[in-house]
Amino acid sequence: MKNDLRTVFYRNLWRENPVIRQILGICSALAVTNRLENSLVMGLGLMFVTAFSSFTLSALRNLIPDRIRMIVQTLVIAAYVIIVDIFIKANMPEISTALGPYVGLIITNCIIMGRAEAFARKNTPVISFFDGLFAGIGYTIILLCIALIREILGFGTVFGFNVNFLNFTNWTIMVVPPGAFFMIAIIIWIASGITNRGLKKKESKKEGAI
Amino acid sequence: MKKGYTYTIIFMAVVSIIFTGLLAGVNAAYKKKITKNEETAMKASILASVGINTDGVDVNGVFNDKATEEKLNEVTYYSIMMNSDKTVYAIPFEGAGLWGTIRGFVGVSTDYSSIVGLAFTDQNETPGLGGRIDEDWYKEQFRGASLETVIEYGNDSGLDAITGATSTSNAVLKILNGLMDTTLQELEEADEK
Repeated sequence: MKNDLRTVFYRNLWRENPVIRQILGICSALAVTNRLENSLVMGLGLMFVTAFSSFTLSALRNLIPDRIRMIVQTLVIAAYVIIVDIFIKANMPEISTALGPYVGLIITNCIIMGRAEAFARKNTPVISFFDGLFAGIGYTIILLCIALIREILGFGTVFGFNVNFLNFTNWTIMVVPPGAFFMIAIIIWIASGITNRGLKKKESKKEGAI
Repeated sequence: MKKGYTYTIIFMAVVSIIFTGLLAGVNAAYKKKITKNEETAMKASILASVGINTDGVDVNGVFNDKATEEKLNEVTYYSIMMNSDKTVYAIPFEGAGLWGTIRGFVGVSTDYSSIVGLAFTDQNETPGLGGRIDEDWYKEQFRGASLETVIEYGNDSGLDAITGATSTSNAVLKILNGLMDTTLQELEEADEK
């Protein structure tokens, strides 16, 4: 498998996007996407953690004994997550209350462990860093898409600015987690639809050639 | 890669020490700031509970200027000087909501006859439903509510519960009514003495 920057970018953002393809990190995607601001901070936190934990684990990959590698991965990931948590608490106290326990729960986000196991263990630090970063971006983009629709319909705002010009009644279901279920499902549906259509086109071209 | 037991143990110990050390360092560096944030947030709630605007003002300055901490038995409450001849109390409350504990401060007049305001410091109610108790319209309606009788929702009191959040709405009243029978009563008796 080729592992240059472009493949890694394309793979993490689209073809193997953690949320819509691998269905990872769904717990936080349901919980924090009721407002764009929360999603953005969560996404930035995750980008930071995946990028640096992948980098660190990749740098240590020849030193880590195989049988305890998961313990080391968890330790490194937890350390970065706690740093993010402390940083948000100190500098953005309001967002910290809004995110509640979910920053701490980045530790259990399968995306990070997934990148560490699937990529950082076998690749050099720099490309691992970008792999983690792009996986984080892939996650953030999906979260922001969900949050945009949920915030508009649920609160009538975008990043806290009122956009409810038509004066419609806010949809409570968009504010509570079930709203995110619908949005994630619709986004997965659209993404799979696009991929399938591409595949069909390729197939029909092949058939035409025969 | 296969490594011996000794190596494994030493490696784990070294990695643990490095990362725990790193965290301890970060924690120590930010501890002061976090504690200060928490204190400021609490002071802002106390001021908000008596109806003082806290948006874009120096919360700590205003608080030090106006509030004095007082204590009765176990309860720490604050007396706040609104202007030269008017003082109100900000009294902490705590009680069960639908999902978790609801904490906050209620501002009451010094004769314990009416509420001057309400602020929540801690609540984990359903966002968009019970969580709306933290919205201004809900808190504002308690301003001026009488403490002489039991607080109830309805036309008589002019208080509205939140649609779709009956449990949380009732929990708030239960906490406030409970406060009247306990802390407020104690304070009133202490004042009479």
